[in-house]
Amino acid sequence: MTISIWRYSHLALAISSFIFIIIASITGIILAFEPISNQLQPYSIGSSNNITLAQTIIVLQEHYEEIISIEVDNNDFVSASVITNDGKNETFYINPLTGEKIGEIIEKAPIFKFATNLHRSLFLKSAGRFFVGLISFILFLIAITGILLIIKRQQGIHRFFSKIVKENFEQYYHIIVGRLTLIPILIVAFTGVYLSLEKFSLLPSHTAEHQIDYENIKTTPKKQIKDFIIFNQVTLKNLRAVEFPFSDDPEDYFNVKLSNKELIINQFTGQILSTIEYPFVKLASHWSLILHTGQGSILWSIILGIVCCSILFFIYSGFLMTLKRRKKSSILKNVYSKDKSEYIILVGSETGNTFDLAKIFYNSLLDLNKTVFISELNKYSSYKKAKHLIIFAATYGKGEPPSNAKNFITLLKKNIPTKEISYAVVGFGSLAYPDFCKYAIDIDKTLQSNMLFKSILDLHKINNQSFEAFKNWSLQWSKNTGIPIQLKEPPKKNKSKKESSFSVESRSLLNTDDTFLIRLRSENKISFMSGDLLSFYPENDPIERLYSIGKIDGDILLSVKKHEFGVCSTYFSKLNKNDIIKASIKRNPDFNFPVWATEVIMIANGTGIAPFLGMINTNKKIKSHLFWGGRNEESIELYHEIIQNSIKKNGTAYFYPAYSRVQEKIYVQHLLKRNSSFIAKTLDKKGAILICGSVAMQKEVIAIIDQICQKINHKPLSYYQNKGQLKMDCY
Amino acid sequence: MKKSLIFKTFPIFIFAIFALFGFTNISEKNTYKCMIQMTNYTGEGAYIVISLINPEGNYEKTLFVQGDDEEWYHDIINWWKFYGKKRLNIDAITGATVSGGGRTISIIEIEANKIDTGYKIRFESAVEDQEYYIKDVEFDLTSQTVKSKVEGTGFIRYVRMMPQ
Repeated sequence: MTISIWRYSHLALAISSFIFIIIASITGIILAFEPISNQLQPYSIGSSNNITLAQTIIVLQEHYEEIISIEVDNNDFVSASVITNDGKNETFYINPLTGEKIGEIIEKAPIFKFATNLHRSLFLKSAGRFFVGLISFILFLIAITGILLIIKRQQGIHRFFSKIVKENFEQYYHIIVGRLTLIPILIVAFTGVYLSLEKFSLLPSHTAEHQIDYENIKTTPKKQIKDFIIFNQVTLKNLRAVEFPFSDDPEDYFNVKLSNKELIINQFTGQILSTIEYPFVKLASHWSLILHTGQGSILWSIILGIVCCSILFFIYSGFLMTLKRRKKSSILKNVYSKDKSEYIILVGSETGNTFDLAKIFYNSLLDLNKTVFISELNKYSSYKKAKHLIIFAATYGKGEPPSNAKNFITLLKKNIPTKEISYAVVGFGSLAYPDFCKYAIDIDKTLQSNMLFKSILDLHKINNQSFEAFKNWSLQWSKNTGIPIQLKEPPKKNKSKKESSFSVESRSLLNTDDTFLIRLRSENKISFMSGDLLSFYPENDPIERLYSIGKIDGDILLSVKKHEFGVCSTYFSKLNKNDIIKASIKRNPDFNFPVWATEVIMIANGTGIAPFLGMINTNKKIKSHLFWGGRNEESIELYHEIIQNSIKKNGTAYFYPAYSRVQEKIYVQHLLKRNSSFIAKTLDKKGAILICGSVAMQKEVIAIIDQICQKINHKPLSYYQNKGQLKMDCY
Repeated sequence: MKKSLIFKTFPIFIFAIFALFGFTNISEKNTYKCMIQMTNYTGEGAYIVISLINPEGNYEKTLFVQGDDEEWYHDIINWWKFYGKKRLNIDAITGATVSGGGRTISIIEIEANKIDTGYKIRFESAVEDQEYYIKDVEFDLTSQTVKSKVEGTGFIRYVRMMPQ
């Protein structure tokens, strides 16, 4: 399968370096604990960092025979190297206020020594260091190509942080975590490269030397250290180190290192003999070290630790994605050759997800003993016996073709069929992006312009790989072609693990639409909200059924339509009070009541009303408008009591029914159109729209609301969807 | 008689005791302040070993080691041949490595009878993945040199010593 250049680079770089990146990440996690454990030692001077160097020297001189040097490290620990009164040379942490020894210098624990060595040179000395530097650079490139891929996927840099469509766990969190840790990763990688360059002397050198006029060093007027002007100006906050004069020879001096410069001080007069301002390269080295190691900051060390963990996760999820994609496209094993097949399925997919549905379709044609050939759009050629062409096309980036479909339109012009072919195009995409199914539309137009291609079914667009929508499409295709295909739903994995018992509280009779309400009470205390889903597996049936929950007085309210051959709905319709069923609750936070909204518009048809019944029953604060489409006035009787009670009880809800099977046929979308300005205003002032019901209704409603937004607010609906103002749960 | 014998030998005893003390006085340890100033080389901190060399040119004693990670001691090849066999405890005379451009001051003990008697002091230096200098600095121990400045030939720019 062909993939784009950036994706290819991202992957190739990752494959070439992942073993070393794993080593660096694991040792990185260990090393993140070193600055944390150091910072937890009680040696930090903390708020006393504004005492002056003169004060500290004076107290130290009282305690010790001679001071050799004073140092303030990145943890703000002050250490002094002194000659004690019994002539011993010792170095330890001091309290700069009292001059007392407060602890021994922290020795690097063996585990940190080991990890540091492995982290920076893999125990291979120079060669290893060079290698690690290179890996660091590769990590930097991986991060950059990752950014480009996100921009591409999100259709522009301005949408970098907008909502990501969740295709599967690896893909979703690869991107989510990637966006969050992007900047720290770039910092870690860049500083890693910088530190390596420094070790190999590849940076511009910064060896400015002090110029001291030794001939004219004065020894008078002699001053006490406590009167040295510079020592009274420098506070421990700015100090890195002071080296004391070796002897009382006038040519020996104080060497004072500050955060930005180095000073040479006459040991008798306190005059500054020489100053060197540190060049940028040196300051950059210092900051690289601090940013790369986390010295001196618990918070940054924790971030570094998290970054290392996330890199491990990227390796895991990235490879999982790659393997899945390869698997998806590599199973394109055909039973029949292209020139023997009557049915040609062509797929265009960037991430490989569309292949799943395409293969279901392929297999169901095979089951009917049809000759089918499946391939990628880029492999389009001539097909001698082809009668039907079925195209499944995703869209990538800003309405561009996925990389395995880029050449299709050119190939199409080269390989003109010799006889008529019936075709159908299905577009895959997400409503969260503005260019929904743009590429499928392009293909459809191109095919239309050729006389030999005969459209058998209009273009269908499918949101977020919805199987239900795909099934609906296949039924229509069946109808138009006369081929009775039966799609096999992909078996759902992880059949609910933690089922619990629910007792039936009440069940209504079937109304004229064969719909009924059922109230369930959880035997255990399970927390849930309106909009969550009840997952139920009928006996001897591996396929999960999901029902949208309305929460009323702590009970689960479901609205179910009994289908003639529906195993599950029939089972539910026969339940009686106190019967026990086994089911589980799936949290669905994307479809819970938006407590942040200024006003809420709820749109449902048929049984899709259930979650909204729960919401209007509970919500006491936010004005809510429930638009509902049903067949006729009898349809509403089932819900009448709950709706009226809620309106009376809370005074926040308004109800607008639309009936489609009465004289004046009104659908719910017509109601919306009539209320255009209200809908536009609600979205504009941060209200929310919730939609629950059939996919057909969803399609119509979305189209109307998008029109309203474009016309009145001059913004596409996707703008509000990305802000989380549009929530949908349709089936 | 016995008493007078004791009286007569008493001064001898006294002398013997003084003589004994006198001898220990001769092998008395003196301490010196020793500063090592490094050149502006780039790379890791340098390992420096200060050793006492006997008149035959062999290692007599380790005086100080700058660098506390034993893992790298074998990089100081010549000294390692001497020290590596016995591995005497040198914890009390070790310090941190010194980086390019830095200086370090240590207190070293040298027995008085090693001065002006043909002994030498040697400063060996090695930097990870760079050169190793057997005699970065080496000079005779005389009452003059122990308060002088000696230029280095490798990573060390100069060494200064001063009696304490």
